Amino acid sequence: MSEPVLRTEGLIKRFGGLTAVDNLSINLAGGRVHAIIGPNGAGKTTFFNLVSGMLSPSGGRVFFRGRDITGYRPHEISRLGIKRTLQVKSVFPELSVADNLWITRQAGRRFLHPFRRAASDLETKSHVERILEQIGLSALAGRPAGTLSYGDVAMLEIGMAVISEPSLLLLDEPTCGMSPAETNRAVEKIRDLARTIDIVIIEHDMDVVFGIADDITVLAQGAILASGRPAEIAEDERVREAYLGRPEDEDFVEEAAHA
Amino acid sequence: MTRRSIEIGMAVSAATFLISVPWLIPALTDNFWVSVITEILIWSLFAASANLLFGYVGLLSFGQALYFGFGMYGVALGIDHLGLSFWPAFGLGIVSAIAMALVSGVFAVRLSWHYFAIITVVFSLIFYFLAVSMKPLTGGDDGINFSLPPVFRFGGSIWSLTDPTFQYFFVLAVVSLCFFLMYRVINSPLGKGFLAIRDNDLRASLIGLNVYVLRLIAFVMAGFLAGVSGALFAFFGRYASASYMFYQVSGEAVVWTIVGGAGTMFGPLVGTTLFIVIREIVSSHWEHHSLIVGLLAILAVIFAPKGIVGLWNGWMTRLGERDAASAPPRLTLQAEP
Repeated sequence: MSEPVLRTEGLIKRFGGLTAVDNLSINLAGGRVHAIIGPNGAGKTTFFNLVSGMLSPSGGRVFFRGRDITGYRPHEISRLGIKRTLQVKSVFPELSVADNLWITRQAGRRFLHPFRRAASDLETKSHVERILEQIGLSALAGRPAGTLSYGDVAMLEIGMAVISEPSLLLLDEPTCGMSPAETNRAVEKIRDLARTIDIVIIEHDMDVVFGIADDITVLAQGAILASGRPAEIAEDERVREAYLGRPEDEDFVEEAAHA
Repeated sequence: MTRRSIEIGMAVSAATFLISVPWLIPALTDNFWVSVITEILIWSLFAASANLLFGYVGLLSFGQALYFGFGMYGVALGIDHLGLSFWPAFGLGIVSAIAMALVSGVFAVRLSWHYFAIITVVFSLIFYFLAVSMKPLTGGDDGINFSLPPVFRFGGSIWSLTDPTFQYFFVLAVVSLCFFLMYRVINSPLGKGFLAIRDNDLRASLIGLNVYVLRLIAFVMAGFLAGVSGALFAFFGRYASASYMFYQVSGEAVVWTIVGGAGTMFGPLVGTTLFIVIREIVSSHWEHHSLIVGLLAILAVIFAPKGIVGLWNGWMTRLGERDAASAPPRLTLQAEP
């Protein structure tokens, strides 16, 4: 088997007494869309934070295409081609939509020219225009990103991930807070991206997960509970218990509702 | 009137005014105002240094007076102690300000917000007290005076800042050049990186920007602007004094910037002009003129958070939108969804 895109060995992250990620060894093969699911507090976002360098692990190692990236800083990891979105939508609010994409495209370069006119860079400009068209925001290109609707910000985030031409994309709940129509648009875009980019996605919306994932890893309390094909995961008893809730709980909820 | 014609009109009249100052002002009032305008230009460059950090990178520095002071002492000590001529002394002032900014920046830009503000104050206080206590070298609060070397010598003719008209144009040229450089930086790829960091430094690091290095570059550039203004002020006053390194001087630059418009090119110039003109007019009649400064600062923060220039830009944008709305509709092709 070829070297996996992303591999961790005994990854641990403790916050004081809480172990958010507990001895996690994960192997994500290339060319597939991986979904990471799990109940709240399972350590999904912490896992992303460890991979993207926003947190440094308490123990263990992270490998990206065979290269040990443990302890790299966020911008170094980003420059290796690992890009991520954040759970709470995060763009540059006072920059225009086009400038958000523009600086994201340029940020990968080691050298930002201090005196040349930014507007004179035609290569970057044409990339920005193409992405704007792809995410359907051409008409809003000049608007400050902070004034966009929630769904448009989410599309902009995806656009920012795409324009930097990542080789691995970490999406943290990309459809969270979207309307059904926006969700469909985003899912379509992600499927489209998956043809050329390796994608790991954290998602709570099970329709989205089962719609796009090739493999699913279920986390609970910072450790892997199960992993496999969507069909296997859907049948897995432990997953149903931990994640989807036990039948007794549902009864309890129903009883409470009727009380 | 369209937005563009108003802006061109403003720029042309401002440039015409600035170029005609040495003749216009004596004709209208007193020669004294030529020197006030010279001073305004110098201080607006100092405010621009605080603006580069606060308005474009999101770092609030209360310590820019330190680099102003280094620029000032570089010139004064260069001429008085080392016997340098004009340009080497000017260079010494600028280089020492840049070097100091680099050294303190290495520590300061690791921090953000109030911690950054505090460490910039601490650095400037340390060197303020050092300058005050090293009286044999710096002259302390009394400062050191020096006599001006000539700027150029062409054959028999000598150009020196002792000629107020030449001094005015010299300052105007240097300040304009610095504003032009800053304009180029702000509109460059590097400048967009600055803005991205100001807006959202976490996101900036995730897209691959080295936030630390970019902040350090901005800090050194701001040190350069403050150093040039300090060097100019030393030439202008023919002296240097530790009192200009006090953090109150830094604070004034921040207030001028905020009232004029942080994050705008000409906000510092507008704010500095406003406050120095008020000071010159009011201070001879009323000693508490800084109350007006405080009142204006409070009003600006509440009613014009982007300052006077920000308010103006808002009006211009609305005017631009009105122009666009009243323009004849263009034929556009729209794709069906």
